[in-house]
Parts: sequence; C-alpha cells; structure tokens
Amino acid sequence: MSTIHSKRAARFVADAEKTSWHDATFWSVREKRDKMAQQLPEWEDLREHASQIKKHTITHLADYLEQFSDSLESRGVKVHWAKDAAEFNETVLSILQSHGVTKMVKSKSMLTEECEMNPYLEQHGIDVVETDLGERIIQLLHQKPSHIVMPAIHLKREEVGRMFEEKGISKEKGNYDPTYLTHCARLHLRDQFMQAGAGMTGCNFGVAATGDCVVCTNEGNADMTTSMPKLHIVAMGIEKLVPDYKSLAVFQRLLCRSATGQPTTAFTSHFRQARPGGEMHVVLVDNGRSDMLADTEHWQTLKCMRCGACINTCPVYRRSGGYSYTYFIPGPVGVNLGMLRDPRKYSDNVSACTLCLSCDNVCPSKVGPGSQIYVWRQSLEKLGKADKLKKAMSAGMEYLFDRPAIYTTALKFAPLANYVPDCLTNIGNINAWGIGHAMPEFAKKSFHELWKEGKVK
Amino acid sequence: MRVGLFVPCYVDALYPEAGVATYKLLKHYGLDVEYPERQTCCGQPMANAGFQDKSMKVIESFDELFKDYDYIVAPSASCAAYVKVYYPKILKGKHECVSSGKIMDIVEFLHDVLKVKEVPGKFPHPVSVHNSCHGVRELNLSSPSECNVKPFNKIIDLLQLVDGITIHEPERKDECCGFGGMFSIEEPAVSTRMGEEKIRRHIATGAEYVTGPDSSCLMHMAGIAKKEKMPIKFIHVVQILAAGL
Amino acid sequence: MKKEDFLNKLRQNTHFQYDMPKEEIKGIEYEDTFEQFVRMTETVGGHVINDVRKDADLNELVRRAYPDAKVFCSNLKGITLEGLKGGNDSTALELRNPDTVAEANDLNGTDVAIVQGTVGVAENGCIWIPQTMKEKALLFISEYLVIVLNRKNIVNNMHDAYDRIGMDDRYNFGTFISGPSKTADIEQALVIGAQAARGVTVVLVDE
Repeated sequence: MSTIHSKRAARFVADAEKTSWHDATFWSVREKRDKMAQQLPEWEDLREHASQIKKHTITHLADYLEQFSDSLESRGVKVHWAKDAAEFNETVLSILQSHGVTKMVKSKSMLTEECEMNPYLEQHGIDVVETDLGERIIQLLHQKPSHIVMPAIHLKREEVGRMFEEKGISKEKGNYDPTYLTHCARLHLRDQFMQAGAGMTGCNFGVAATGDCVVCTNEGNADMTTSMPKLHIVAMGIEKLVPDYKSLAVFQRLLCRSATGQPTTAFTSHFRQARPGGEMHVVLVDNGRSDMLADTEHWQTLKCMRCGACINTCPVYRRSGGYSYTYFIPGPVGVNLGMLRDPRKYSDNVSACTLCLSCDNVCPSKVGPGSQIYVWRQSLEKLGKADKLKKAMSAGMEYLFDRPAIYTTALKFAPLANYVPDCLTNIGNINAWGIGHAMPEFAKKSFHELWKEGKVK
Repeated sequence: MRVGLFVPCYVDALYPEAGVATYKLLKHYGLDVEYPERQTCCGQPMANAGFQDKSMKVIESFDELFKDYDYIVAPSASCAAYVKVYYPKILKGKHECVSSGKIMDIVEFLHDVLKVKEVPGKFPHPVSVHNSCHGVRELNLSSPSECNVKPFNKIIDLLQLVDGITIHEPERKDECCGFGGMFSIEEPAVSTRMGEEKIRRHIATGAEYVTGPDSSCLMHMAGIAKKEKMPIKFIHVVQILAAGL
Repeated sequence: MKKEDFLNKLRQNTHFQYDMPKEEIKGIEYEDTFEQFVRMTETVGGHVINDVRKDADLNELVRRAYPDAKVFCSNLKGITLEGLKGGNDSTALELRNPDTVAEANDLNGTDVAIVQGTVGVAENGCIWIPQTMKEKALLFISEYLVIVLNRKNIVNNMHDAYDRIGMDDRYNFGTFISGPSKTADIEQALVIGAQAARGVTVVLVDE
C-alpha cells in the first residue's frame, strides 16, 4: 500500500519544522495570488476566457502553428519541428555545433527539463549555464528543481551560501544574506552572459498572428541571455500558442498573478527576429503532445501554462515537498503530466491527493487537475497499477453495499470492534489509520437499527 | 413534498445521531420524510480509490431506490456532492440519472429550499465552522477562498439562527483537513499532519466544538484529537440546528 | 521531422474543435488611471519623477536622479554628454551610444541607460519599450534604467496595451518592463537587482 510518494512524504514530514516552513512559504504565495484575484472584478471571466481560448487554439493547433512559423520565417527566423525529446536535443546540438558554440547560457525552461537536454548537451561537450538564480543554484548542486517556478525553494540560505563559497562565487565567508548572495550570483552570471556563444530561452506564449515568442521573467535573465550572444534558440512546446495579441493579454494578466501573486513579471519580452548580425531559431516540440490531444479524457491538460498555482495551493505538496513525487513536475499538474508521459512509470503519484479540488479553483486556464486525478485513478486497474489492498477493500465494500441485508447485519456486529484494544490497531502496516488516529467508535446502535426499532421519531 | 432521507454508510454506523437529528429537523418543518431501508452507500469510497466500476451496482440501486422522491436529503456534503456531480457522468450512456437533480445536503436543503428563518436549536457554545472541501467546492455551501465571488456561507447563515451560539471560522477557512477517504490510510503521515494543523487552527478560535456538514472530516479530526489529547469536541452541524428536539 | 508530418499528426489527432469565446473581456478601469500607474510603479520597486516642468532638461533630471553615475548610455536625442556634464567640463563622464558600439559586451559597466517607453499600463506598472537601437542590451545590462514616458500614453490594462503597442521594423523586438529586475529564489526573500537593472526610474513627461 505504501507508495514511493507516501514513504518520501513521511520522511519529509518527520522534520516538523522544515515542513512548517515549506507549508507557510507556499501558503503565503497562495495568499498573494488570492489578493491578486480579488483585485480584479473580471478575474473569473479571465479564467473562463483563458480556458476557451486554449480549447480553441489546441483544437486548431496545426493551423496556428503554420501561421506562427510562416510569420517567423518571413523575418528570417529558422523554425525546426521536433517530434520527441531526442529530435529536440539533436536539433539544438546541431545548431550549436554548426556555429562552433561550446558555451550556452539559458533561461528557465520546463521543456528542456522534460527532454533532459542539459545532460545530453553536456555529454557532447557543451557547457550549459542556467541563468535563473534558482536554476543556477540547483545546477551547481547537481539537483533537480523541486518546484517549476521556485526551483530551489527546498534549500536554505546557508546551503546556498556554503556552495557559493566552495565555487568561489561568494568571497565573504559566512555571509548568507540572500541580497548578498544574489549580488554575487549577478557578477558570476554577468561573465557567463558575456562569454557564451549562444542563448536559449523557453517560450511562455507563442503568438500565431505575429510570430512573437513571449518570455516572462522577473530577473531579466532571458533578456541578458538573448542580448549578448548572437545566436538565440527558442525551445517551445507546441501547446504554448495563442492566436493573437488580444488573447495574449488574457494570459499575460493571469500568468504571474497566479504564479507568484505579482501583478506581472518584471519583464515580458517579445522576440520575433534575430538581433542585428545574429540568428534566431525556434524549435517546436511535440514530444507526446499530439498524443495528449488524442486522449479524449485528458486532452485539456494541454491548456496548462505552467504557472504552478495548483502546486502552491496543494495541501499535500506543501507538506511533502517536490522531491516526494516521482515525476519532475510535482503537485496536481505534475501528477497529471506524469500520467500523460508514462502512466505505468508515474502512477505512483495519483494517490498523493485528497481530492480537495482547491487546485481546480486556482487554475487560471481551468485544467481541473484535481478532477483529472480522480479520472486517472479509474484507469489504474487497467494499467495493472491498482493497489491490491485498496482493491480488496473496495471489493469488500462493493459486496457489502450491494447487499442491504448483509450490510445491516454487519452494522449490528460493528460495535464489537470497539472492544479491540488500541494497541492492536496501532500496527502501522496492518492499520495505517492507527498511525495518526484513535479508532472511531461504532455507535451502539446504527441508524438502521434505531429506525427498525422505531426509535427515530 | 416527499423527502427521502439518505443516511450514508459511515454516518449510519458511527454517527447515527446525525441521521436522527436530520430526521427530526425535517419533521419539525412539517415534511413528509421517508427512510428507504435498502440504502447503504453512495459509492464514493471505492470510486475515489480508483474503483468506480465497483460502485456501479450501488449507484444503480441508489438511483432506483430514491427515484420517486421530490428531494433526497443527506447529512453529508461529500456524499451528496458525489451523487450530484459524479452520478450523471458515470451513468451517461446507460440511462438518465434521476437522483443527481434531487440530492441535497441538509444545509443546502434548509437554506435554499425551505429557506428557514428559525431553527429549534439552542446551543450556548462557541463553535468553529469546518468548511469541508466538497461542501465548498462541489456543493457551493460557501464561497471558495480561491475564487473572486461575493462571500457567502450557508452553514453560518443557518448557525446564526441558533440561540446562544458564538460562531468562528479558523484561519485558512477552507483548507483540506487531510481526510480524503483512502488517502488517510495511504498517506498517513501527510494526512495526520494536515489534520493536526487543521485542529490547531480550529482550537485557536477559542471554540469548544468544531462543527461542519461532513462527519467524515469530523471523524478524521476527532480520531487525531483523541489520540493526541487535543482539547476540542466535534459535532455535526445538523445536531446543533436540531438541538433540543 | 518534416513539418508536414508533424502537422498531419496533429490534424489526425484532433477529434473536435472549439470556437473562440464570443464576448470580449472587459478589463478593469481605474478612477484615476494616472495615479494607479504611479502607485503600481512604486509597488513593483520603481521610482517616478512626476513633476517635470515643460522646459526641463532631461540630462539634468537624470543627473539629479543618479548623481554618482559616471557611465551613461542612450540614443535619445535629448541626451548629450555636454548636457549630462551640465557645463562642467572637468566632470569625468562617459556617454555610450547603443547604435554605434561594436558589441553588446561593450555596454557592460554602464551605470545608467536612458530609453523611451511608448505605453504605460496602470494595472501592473508595465511600460512597453520597443527596440529602437542596435544593441538592446542597454535595457538590461545597465545598473539603472531611466524610462521616459508621455503621460498621455498610460492605459488601464493589458488589453488596452496590446491594442496599442508596436515594434520598429528594423529590430522586431519589444519588452514590457515593470520595475527593476528581482528574484526571490533564495528562501522567498525578495531581492532587487538579479541579472538586469537594479533600479528603474520612470520620468513622466507631457511631450
């Protein structure tokens, strides 16, 4: 019965203080998001619009992609089509190699995580430098992001400071002040930007009508990434398209408010042409997205814009951390994306959810990640991934609830369970309820019995 | 108006007093209430665990058993929500779902259908309201804290009619308590941690009782509070509304 | 992969199609749009110079805002080395031109860049800056950024903004900037000045 998530989560929760900090940190992001939502009378309308625009775009994706690529090509941008992670990685490598690039700076991109691009490029001799502060920190620590928007959130300032000292990024021993450390990183990254032969960005939104690749950051690192090197490569999942500026306005307004509770990111940059004397490449990536489109139950997960709001509000994520999940994206949307990626490999995460549905309510494009988890659970048995004990319990309930006479009899004897001594119910593996709870007491007489005896009046 | 009373399985076995209070309250308002004896469960426990197919027979019987009533009333927001939201999807393609349009949680029924302006209850205690997830996000018993909608709370509207009561809401008024059906046994560490936090926030209001429309959440929290000897009691909201009957 | 195969698979896998929403969003409108813009700019960490006289000299305003700065960068007509020096030839200042520097790297070490914004957005403090210079790096590499904006070009929200923005055909780049570069990646502690400008001053003018 114990899933990998539940075991890792138990270890996480064992550090009560860190759990409190983690929970409070993300709850405060959720509160900031709520405040943003409250300040706009049109908030719920925006969400509905975003959902409808995405549904429209995703179901007309081929047309919009043609429009988008035509527009880019008309200004000399080279557009590449990658069917999967391998093709994507190869495409990027060949662009870099044809330009003799050995160092590439990049801004944050969940797509490159998904395709495991960095290790691939590194194997081929490319020095890939993450430039988002959080991403850079975990890159230097050889870790994975624990959150899609705040990738280094699991680390304390001391851990960052000590690593910066080791790498020579920080000179003042024992100074772990976040402002100081950030400024050390600023200087360290400034050199990287100036030395790199190429810059890669993700793409928050692609505008079909104009060919704009829109990248949103708070640090301005995507802009540094694209202002210094002459070669700009955009890594873009095909679901990132929106039809036009009118639609883009809806998403720009929702993204950062939902993600971090700010009214906007500090930088919302529109790229659609190489900078003077440079080259721009856009790599459009499918990597399973066209199959998601064909999935009649789960295709709307493609509406997700990776804001992380569902992760922040998830009471289970807040108390189990990003590393408890087996897919690289944690929380409600990560559970869904993992299942869409490989349901047999990532089925473990679908039980890490109370179905509280808070995520459905915060999602700016109405993906319904919580409701979708319910649907995924129904497919576990087909996948051969159903939990045996849960199945046995459900089968027991099916038997009992379908036979009112037996059910009534069972109720009659249920109070006997009250006489089972507590010590017997506290054996974790046999009775997980007993780990945290005292046993509930069965009523001396059930409602059924009281009714039969005429005592309900 | 004919009302079919649905007393969900665990209320039946563990908290019959919530069922009795519901019956008494409905009778108090002069309604024709019946309790179909062949009822058992709505099917949610199996379905949430991933075995919706194992709840199919129960769902079919439920829909048949209650088909002739004007309303089906249950003292359990989560079970009512399951019938209302999920039954039509599950029965789609088989036959029309009758019960989903008739099911109501008792709070919803009193507030929206009967529109009661008085309740018999007297309850001179401070209470902290437990806005359970499915009550909030599936049945709309109160405005969800995530949404930009006009604030409302049907549970509090009703409790305000009770003589002598003091009403509080905890911080994070509709955050999950961590029960989640089989979640509580599959993820005991996180489930318990969530429950502890929720109970502490209820206690911090100064309340003597936690009250809410879902005995399942109350059972979860009561189990933790008892084990950890936390000083607070739990009572279904319908028992407060019916207190004295 | 071939574009045709890529698109064909998408077409084959699309089972039903949805329409765009019928009605347009009605974006928030503020009672005092100008005041909201000023407040938001300050909320996101920017400074506002709002009391500019008609005949004021932009050079002087910049110098007053950043008295310790030595290296400036701009291609705005109103910004000149003489103007920045304010008639005092003994002051050691440098003015760089983003149109004539050989490489973007040459702009490293710029203290203050002065640029023109074309649309300001009240709801979030965003200012649209189309690239009108060879090296857009000055927008990001400078320690501080001064954005000149005509107060008539302030709109309520992003819907209005996206109706109005444009790009220079030579460069086809533009960016909304809202306050200085920032991060909260270490323990969620807000730090101003991550990779780009550490401070932003918005100069609101009438012309």
